[in-house]
Amino acid sequence: MGYLNNGVVTVDAILTKKGREALARGDGSFKITQFALSDDEIDYTLYNPTHPSGSQYYGQAIENMPLLEAFPDETKVMKYKLATLPRGTSKLPLLEAGYASIRLKQGASLAITPQTLNYLGATSTFESGGYTAVIADVRVLSNFTGVGINTEEAENLNTLTTFGTNVSKTVIGTSINLTATSVNTLFGTNTQLQTTIQIIGRDSGARVTIPVTIIKVNT
Amino acid sequence: MSYKRFDLEDIVVSSDAVTAPCWANNAVSLSAAFTSSTQVAASSGNYYYNIYNEDPNSSSTASIQFSVAYGNRSGSNAQAYDAAVSKSYSSTVYGQFRTLLLGDEDTDFTFASSSGAETVTPDSVAFISVERARFKEKLFPGSLTLRLRSGSELLTLTDNSVDTTTDTFVDSGRVYSLYSGSSGVVNNSEVEWGKIFPDVGIIALNHEWLNVSGGYIDLSGSGAHNFTTHNNNDAIFRSIDSGSRSEAFALRSEETVTSNYVFIRCRNAEFNYSNNPSNITGSGELRHSVMIDSPQSYITAVGLYNDNNDLLAVAKLSTPLLKDFTKEALIRVKLDY
Repeated sequence: MGYLNNGVVTVDAILTKKGREALARGDGSFKITQFALSDDEIDYTLYNPTHPSGSQYYGQAIENMPLLEAFPDETKVMKYKLATLPRGTSKLPLLEAGYASIRLKQGASLAITPQTLNYLGATSTFESGGYTAVIADVRVLSNFTGVGINTEEAENLNTLTTFGTNVSKTVIGTSINLTATSVNTLFGTNTQLQTTIQIIGRDSGARVTIPVTIIKVNT
Repeated sequence: MSYKRFDLEDIVVSSDAVTAPCWANNAVSLSAAFTSSTQVAASSGNYYYNIYNEDPNSSSTASIQFSVAYGNRSGSNAQAYDAAVSKSYSSTVYGQFRTLLLGDEDTDFTFASSSGAETVTPDSVAFISVERARFKEKLFPGSLTLRLRSGSELLTLTDNSVDTTTDTFVDSGRVYSLYSGSSGVVNNSEVEWGKIFPDVGIIALNHEWLNVSGGYIDLSGSGAHNFTTHNNNDAIFRSIDSGSRSEAFALRSEETVTSNYVFIRCRNAEFNYSNNPSNITGSGELRHSVMIDSPQSYITAVGLYNDNNDLLAVAKLSTPLLKDFTKEALIRVKLDY
């Protein structure tokens, strides 16, 4: 008789930039209520279903890999979330934003209405929980709001802004509105500003990251 | 679904007292002590000497461990600010620590002798103030071993917190007596050589008893009372200069670390599919057909979110954790702030 492995894994967490911001704000937004899991760093092409030693060894190359420490930038971690789906699922949800990249002139506006493919048996659907959109640098937009989800939390997010530095901003909606900044200060001597917008299905966990370029036109 | 809400019992707040050696690099005792010629020569040297773990004149990693200061109730044994008044650096130091520690300008530092039968009020008191970053929240009572040197003679002091059944409080918190002994074990409690105020990281030594002829803080030597070179502070430093001796000055810090323990519970049917692009083709189909009926995922990170789906904290595992329909995972995340 051997000892059983009690199977508890203990890990230390670090606060993200967003977490520190929420903690500093002191308005109750630093309240952990839910979690998600991700498999960042995993390359599933290393999974080998033809391993000569059998199925116990299919994931050998993955299971023994060392992992990097966590990054504090909330837009650079938890990228590929694990999802709970019915057994037998052969197609995973994909998020279609309609744009592979976004280029906006100063002051120009755009509305993004994402759809989720391969979700709940539908080829294409709008998730009832809406979509979370995260702009990595909130300074490049003068307006960044979500519409279509009328919960209190979603409404609050639209009005919440942190000034002064390149922190991210998160909004929730079925449609995301963005307007490029008209202010020249950020450009310096550059003619363009670049950042990314990350859109995540709140129900499916499907995710897409779109590069955003703001073009200077004001003199 | 990618997000799972916590149940009430999944988040536990735990406060733990953590003790550690006070000195830099987790040194159990200070094996060497140095002053800075720059600080000694500056105006602050009139009041106190900063004591370093390495020679600050030659080492870039030297850091202040504690300060020593000489206080005198009447302002004696120090240069007066102005010859016309009796106030001096030593009276400033005495008054400063009296206000800080006792909180009453009409109260003086007193020390017991003959097992507490007699109490003396010395004019001179030597103060050791441990650097805040070194003692963190408070000094850990019962951890003190302080050796004072007089030639080849050594006096080893410790506090009586271990033997004290009822703590005594003053304005600055708890106070314990210093007696002959080490590491909290008192050998002789007849003479109270000093007091320790652990909540503010300060030790007060009865300077007059330590400064008897040939005493442990000897001001009678060459150059003593040479006010322009601050020899009172220097004498205190020399008496506790650990030199090459081991366990010369041992002390531990104590702080309360509040941690959030978050329990991540993954049921067997949850989190078995991955949106990782290497796991799916461009149309969303699983890359490996064997995963259609037996999906596998590998947990590498745990994200903690608020209701707004803001990622507040993240934890990485050391190795990927396999998850499938036959496995449940329990991950305990520790979050300090």
